[in-house]
Order: sequence, then structure tokens, then C-alpha cells
Amino acid sequence: MNGRRVTFGGTQPPPQEMPTHSDLEPEPTSSQSLLTDRRSFSQAVVIAPPNPVAAPESKLTLRNVCKNFHTKTGKFNAVQDINVEVQAGEFLCIVGPSGCGKSTLLNIIAGLEKPDEGQALVNGRPIVGPGTDRVVIFQELALFPWLTVLKNVEFGLRMKGVGKREREEKALHFLKMVHLTRFSRCYVHELSGGMKQRVALARALAIDPEILLMDEPFAALDAQTRDILHEELQEIWAATRKTIVFVTHNVREAACLGDRVLVFSTHPGRIKREIEIRYARPRRLEDPNLVAFSKSIVAELKAEVEKVAQEELDYDWRTGEKKPVLRPRDHDVGSGI
Amino acid sequence: MWEVASRAGIWPRFLFPSPTEVLQTLAEGFADRTFVFGVLASLRRIFLGYAISLLLGVLLGLAISRNRLIAETLGSLILGLQTLPSICWLPLALLWFGLNESAIVFVVVMGALLSITSATESGIKNAPPLLIKAGQNMGATGGRLLIEVVVPAALPSILSGMKQGWSFAWRSLMAGELLYGSVGLGNLLTVGRELNDMSQVVAVMLIIVVIGLAADYLVFSRLERTMRRRWGFEAS
Ligand SMILES: Nc1ncnc2c1ncn2[C@@H]1O[C@H](COP(=O)(O)OP(=O)(O)OP(=O)(O)O)[C@@H](O)[C@H]1O
Ligand SMILES: [Mg+2]
Repeated sequence: MNGRRVTFGGTQPPPQEMPTHSDLEPEPTSSQSLLTDRRSFSQAVVIAPPNPVAAPESKLTLRNVCKNFHTKTGKFNAVQDINVEVQAGEFLCIVGPSGCGKSTLLNIIAGLEKPDEGQALVNGRPIVGPGTDRVVIFQELALFPWLTVLKNVEFGLRMKGVGKREREEKALHFLKMVHLTRFSRCYVHELSGGMKQRVALARALAIDPEILLMDEPFAALDAQTRDILHEELQEIWAATRKTIVFVTHNVREAACLGDRVLVFSTHPGRIKREIEIRYARPRRLEDPNLVAFSKSIVAELKAEVEKVAQEELDYDWRTGEKKPVLRPRDHDVGSGI
Repeated sequence: MWEVASRAGIWPRFLFPSPTEVLQTLAEGFADRTFVFGVLASLRRIFLGYAISLLLGVLLGLAISRNRLIAETLGSLILGLQTLPSICWLPLALLWFGLNESAIVFVVVMGALLSITSATESGIKNAPPLLIKAGQNMGATGGRLLIEVVVPAALPSILSGMKQGWSFAWRSLMAGELLYGSVGLGNLLTVGRELNDMSQVVAVMLIIVVIGLAADYLVFSRLERTMRRRWGFEAS
């Protein structure tokens, strides 16, 4: 199947046996060794099933999904041959370099784009169009500027035909969850970037979808607010058992939130690696084990980013070889101390 | 200055009335109700005509932006007709409706209709696709999507079309009333000219300007400002 599938952490991993950095090197050999090393744990390594037939409990299935865009310069292969099974209640994270087709994939799941090849299924049924069982929090947020914050959050409920009283109550409940009740009468442009992201989150949660599709939702937040929202998202997820597909650039965020992380490669967008993360929740972003683990994913992503840069710059450009630009006198910094 | 220039007697009085005379005419006109009736008759026509053209214009704009066939047939026709000053519709209207109110209202409708239609159409065409996707994503479909998402997203453009449409409608009404004699501001101008009563002509011109400006300031500019503030186009 596409990508190798590895597992990080066991059901109760003894702390001294936490994988070291070398355990998680992306090279095939070390992954192979990880595979054998971890056989001792009950479900250490899960090899992707050879036949991706939608299991009945599978919430979301993508089968050989390809999407092309037709541009002036010709056909552009945005995503290719994507095979994913997402179980009900699973928290799936997708990381990958910019332009690898993450948003495109979410749009396909949301039914806003049609795949050119392959199939996308929800609960075993093909996706034919947008539906409120799958709600996207768009990368660009897409809040309505003509509505107040409260009315934005109410929008989905209004479309469902929920009565005024109940609608307002529910909307306020979700605004409270993201700490924005004070701003419920404001218009969208009066909010900061991070506040807008929280409104978008509240607006999506108010619709109560089975699948929540989040496209880099916390990218513009300060670290503190993001931590709070990470905790809250994990709480909401634990309480509601929603299926979440979460796209991010931040590997640590992915490792912190996900049950499983898909690492995408680019041009065309494919699943490069699939990592299962069995690690006790609630997790914290600064957990040293997660930090160490995410380093290995970062190394892999870096290779992808280099690939893009090399294609673009047409010579052997590497991120690693760059030296900081120093003025001669900078070398003396600290010499007199 | 106007007063001085007029009193200096460079031009004969009846061709260049002084402001005091104009004010006096205004006061008399409103006192004996001739101006009141004129204003009311004109306002009635413009409200009727404008309401019709607003409704028709938005609907037509929606239809053109939604339907390829309509766009290709009506769309280009409307573009062509926009170059036609709306008063040119009067002869046609007179033949269709006869010499009556409907003909004048028709001219008013034609004055505003095309601006509103094309503004609606371009507003919808330029509505951010992302917002429409978001609406669909949250369960808005068909007419609901159109009314709740597409039209609000097109509102800035529709509003400026409405504003332009209003001034076109007001001008066509005056032109129509000048040519067709029944109670109204345009008609008062004609009467003033026929009686060689220059102060009445100037007084009525003043009323026309004041009504035009008032509508612009009290209705359209205010609407536009509210909209711009809400959307964050300008600081409050
Ligand atoms: N409507 C479109 N027309 C043409 N090309 C498109 C279109 N949408 C996306 N693409 C291309 O498809 C590729 C994937 O885009 P996508 O938005 O899915 O990337 P992404 O992984 O979400 O990137 P980022 O992390 O920067 O958001 C990009 O290279 C982009 O140029
Ligand atoms: Mg994206």
C-alpha cells in the first residue's frame, strides 16, 4: 500500500524503552528494525491491510483517489493514488509540505471537489456532494463578513431549520467553549486572526458533524491560545467521539493530536508514510517523547521540502548546507566575556 | 454674490432672478400647494418605478448569472441597451401604454433597471467562491444558498448599482415629466418656462437637486457606509 506504516508507542510503553531518535530514522532499514523491535508489543506494528475494502465500521474511505487541475501550463497532478481508511472516532493528522494537496484532499472529502479517479466513501457510501455530516474549517476560515459572530455560528443551525431560541442557545454554548461570548455581537473584521479561527471552530462544532475536517486551523494562533485550544479540542474529541481529519504544517502538533499521522510527499501529493501514535492522552505539545519523535518526521518532511526547492531552483539546493551570514566582527561575539 | 449679480441688473430680471425672489416663489409655491402636489406626484412615480426596477433588476441579474443561456442572450442585449439614454424609451412607452402614468413609470424603470441588473450580475460573478463553498458546506442549497450567501456576498456591488440606478431613475423621471405634461416637478419647470417665470424655474431646479441629494445622503450613502463598516472596508 502507499507508504510504510509504523507505530509509535505501545499501550503502556515503559518510559526507559521509549524509542530513541535513531529508532525512528526514516530509512527503510531502521523502520524494518523498528518493525522487528516492536513485535514484542502486542500491536506494535500494523501493516496496512492488503485489500482496502471498506470495512463496515470504516467512517471514511479514500480509494485510489487522484485529482488533477488543468492549468495554463497543462495538467497538474495535485494528489495521486491516495488510499486511506479512517475509523469512526479516529483523530487523523495530515502533514506535508505546502502545495502537496492537503486542502485538495479535504475538499474532496467535503464533497466540494470531485476526484478525477478513485472513490471517496463516507459510511461506505460514495460522496456525491457537500453535506453537514462532514464540515470543513477552511484554511482561509471563510467567515461571513455580513453577519455578526453569533450569527455566523448560528448559520448552520439556521440552515437546518433549528428554532431561534435553541439556535442562539447552542451558538452561545459553542462561543463560550472558545471564550468568545464577549464578542458575539461583533462583526468578523473586528476580531483578531486567532479569534476568527476560534469562531470558525465554534461555527463548525455547532453543526455537530460526524466528521470534522480541519485545515491548519491553529496556524495563526499564539502558543498559549493554541495550547488551550489543543486541550479543548482533545476534550471535545474525547467527549463527542467525532472523527477528525486535521491538516497541519506543524509536525509536533500532528504528533500531539493524532491517533495516526499521514506524511505527504509532494509533486504529486502522495502518502509517503503512515505513523500510528499510541501514546497516552491528554498529550502535551512539549512532551519530550513526542518532541523526539516528531524530529524524525521533520527529517522526512525536510527531504520533501528540499525536493520542491530543488525542482524550483534547478540546482543542488539543500536546507542543511546553509550557513548563517556573519559579518567578520560577529565572530568575536562573546570573546571578551 | 448671486443676489448682488442679479441686482446689478446686467441681465434682465426675468432671466436672472435674485435669491430672495426664488425664496419667495418657493414659499408661495408650497403655501398654495402647487409645489407640494408636484413633489408628491414625482416622488410617487420615482418610488413606484424604482421599486419595480430594483425587484426586476436583482431578479434579472440573478437569472443572468445563474443561467448560461440567459447570459448569452439577455446579457449582451443589456450591455447594448445600457448605452441608450432611458428617455429614448419614451416614444416606445407612449405607443405601448398611451399617454399616461404607466409610460412615465416605464421610463423610470428603464432608467434604473440596467444599472441594477448589471451590478447584481457582476456582484454575483465576483462573489468569493470560498464563501459559497462554506455556505454549501454548512447545508445551504439552492435558493437558500442564493439568498443567504450569494446575494449578501454580492451586496457591495448591488448597492453601488442601486445608487447609480437611483440617479439615473431621477434624471429619466425629470426628462419624462418635461416632455409629458401632468402634475410633477418636470411639469412645473415647463409651466415656469411658458409663463416666462424664471424664479419658478430656478426654484423647481433647486427642489430637484435637493431631493436627489437627500436620497443620496439619507438612503444610499448611509446604506453603503453601514455596509462598508460592517464588512471592515473602512474604519468606524
Ligand atoms: N483550483 C486550482 N486550480 C489549479 N491548481 C490548483 C487549484 N487548487 C489547488 N491547486 C494546486 O494543487 C496543489 C495542491 O494545493 P492544495 O491547496 O491542496 O495544497 P496544500 O497542501 O493545502 O498546501 P498548503 O499547505 O500551502 O495549504 C497546489 O500545487 C496548487 O497549485
Ligand atoms: Mg492548504
